[in-house]
Amino acid sequence: MINLAKKDISHTLGKFIVTAMGVGMLLGIVLIMIGVYRGMLVDAEALLKDLSVDVWVVQENTLGPFADASRVPEDLKNTLLAIDGVDKTAALTFQNIQIPTPTKPLRVVALGFDPFGDINAISKERLIKGRGLKRSHYEVVVSDNLGFELGESMNLGRNIYKVVGITHGTVSSGGDPLIYISLKDAQELQFLYSNARIRNDRARGLKGGDAHMVNTIVATIKSGYDVDKVAASIKRWKHKSVYTADEQKDILTKNLIERASKQIGLFTAILVVVSTIIIALIIYTMTLEKMKEISIMKLIGIPNSIIIKMIVQETLLLGFLAFIFGNAFSHLIYSKFPKRVVLELPDAWMLFIVVIIASILSSFIGVKKVISADPAAAIGG
Amino acid sequence: MSKKQSIKVQNLVKSFGSGDSRVDIIDGASFEVNKGELVALIAPSGAGKTTLLMMIGCVEEPTSGTIWLGDEKVYENKWLTKETRKIRREKIGFIFQAHYLIPFLNVIENVTLVPQTNGLSTEESEKKAMELLDYFDIGDKAHAKPSELSGGQNQRVAIARALANTPEIILADEPTAALDMERSVGVVKMLKRIAIEQNVAVIMVTHDEAMLPLCDRILKIENKKVISSVVPKGSHLL
Repeated sequence: MINLAKKDISHTLGKFIVTAMGVGMLLGIVLIMIGVYRGMLVDAEALLKDLSVDVWVVQENTLGPFADASRVPEDLKNTLLAIDGVDKTAALTFQNIQIPTPTKPLRVVALGFDPFGDINAISKERLIKGRGLKRSHYEVVVSDNLGFELGESMNLGRNIYKVVGITHGTVSSGGDPLIYISLKDAQELQFLYSNARIRNDRARGLKGGDAHMVNTIVATIKSGYDVDKVAASIKRWKHKSVYTADEQKDILTKNLIERASKQIGLFTAILVVVSTIIIALIIYTMTLEKMKEISIMKLIGIPNSIIIKMIVQETLLLGFLAFIFGNAFSHLIYSKFPKRVVLELPDAWMLFIVVIIASILSSFIGVKKVISADPAAAIGG
Repeated sequence: MSKKQSIKVQNLVKSFGSGDSRVDIIDGASFEVNKGELVALIAPSGAGKTTLLMMIGCVEEPTSGTIWLGDEKVYENKWLTKETRKIRREKIGFIFQAHYLIPFLNVIENVTLVPQTNGLSTEESEKKAMELLDYFDIGDKAHAKPSELSGGQNQRVAIARALANTPEIILADEPTAALDMERSVGVVKMLKRIAIEQNVAVIMVTHDEAMLPLCDRILKIENKKVISSVVPKGSHLL
């Protein structure tokens, strides 16, 4: 039996492919949107994975250091070691700053940690050039996407820093590139006021700012100890908020990016609906263009089932081709986005199912038109 | 209905609207067309020629009356079958003023579409289609698209398509209207030859009186009824 859909498509192949490419670009954007969401999740967890700590100790009644502002004394890292079960501790600072890069000023997050401490914040797997921090002052390790080379200088606050290492894929929970500096430098950058400010504060009877503050203390727990119990113990005796790694992950992925993910989810849903409407309109237009032929076919006795099969096959092929083009398009452009876009196979399959369902729904409008076509309309005109 | 009759119509009525706005197009038409007969259907424009053709072709539903196609009564004040399209597919071949071929199918696919829908295999239907195309001297164009053929060639393909399902009846709606005199005569002679050789009843709607001498009989719609008359003899076209 002649495959009418195949014949019709090959008759207007160029038009069909261009149409599929157009719809494909729309589907590509849907995939990119999903990829942006996945990227946000990966970014949110990247730092947690790099640090691989068991508990986060922050200012009491805050969700710090990512979701809330948090300040705790640096020496808490020492007193925590007295708690039964705590293995290693480290004091960390996080600060959003704008730095002059070789091309343009960029927002980065400066992570301050003690390079001589027990926990190294720079993952060895991430370090692609140079070395980690080996001095207490004026060394910086930067993310590769900032465009710095080893040995280059960078102005941070009042001082000049030398780039000693370059990392890959290191981002803050918000997706901004990370730079690593020593804890002392970070504290100076974050907590040390200018001389004029200090003089003013003294004149107003205020004490000088305490620079020995950090945003969080992280700790690892000895094997054999229950993380939740140790966390509860820290919370009880130190009057601090304590989060396990899983709780911190929840704060980052659920609390912090929940609204953003909902926004993207809604936008993606709207794009899928728009794609469905566009596919439906294209199929409707394609069916309208064939109304004369459909009337002739009905007049010479071709059953509805064969004509409907043609419409449905064309719709499904359009959806399938659009999906292929959409995938190709998204893979071509995803790396051009400034923040991480993660394209995952299960998302592509999910979109494929959605596209096929959307195509079937879209074909109904063409099928309805076929059923209502008057065979007598073939004559005349 | 006698064995030699292919079409029999009795008291056929077609009206549009109802009540005071009711307009009768055909009012009590009765006639027969025999197998192997080429009958011309003539009437002024708007008299209901195409409507009558479409009622016989099971496309337009009459208001009342009776229609036999072959030995099957298909209409008696209502369709006696739900599958009017199957009747069209199996018993009737349609030819129109324009060729109305499916543009995305090539010549042989246009011709084999209906037989294949009727269940004939691809090989058998293509063999028969080639015979028909050769019969109409367009076998060499079997794989061309309608857009690559002349108007006359397309009309011959359309006739081949109408014959591909071995119909008992051919309904031709002004098949020569778009053709010059020479080609018109060729098409009508072809229909006459088909009627005789394949024992098919052919009704041909025409405005062209010059074609009438080629027909066996004339059906004329007059005062909403169908009158049968003989063909004027002695035409130069004969």
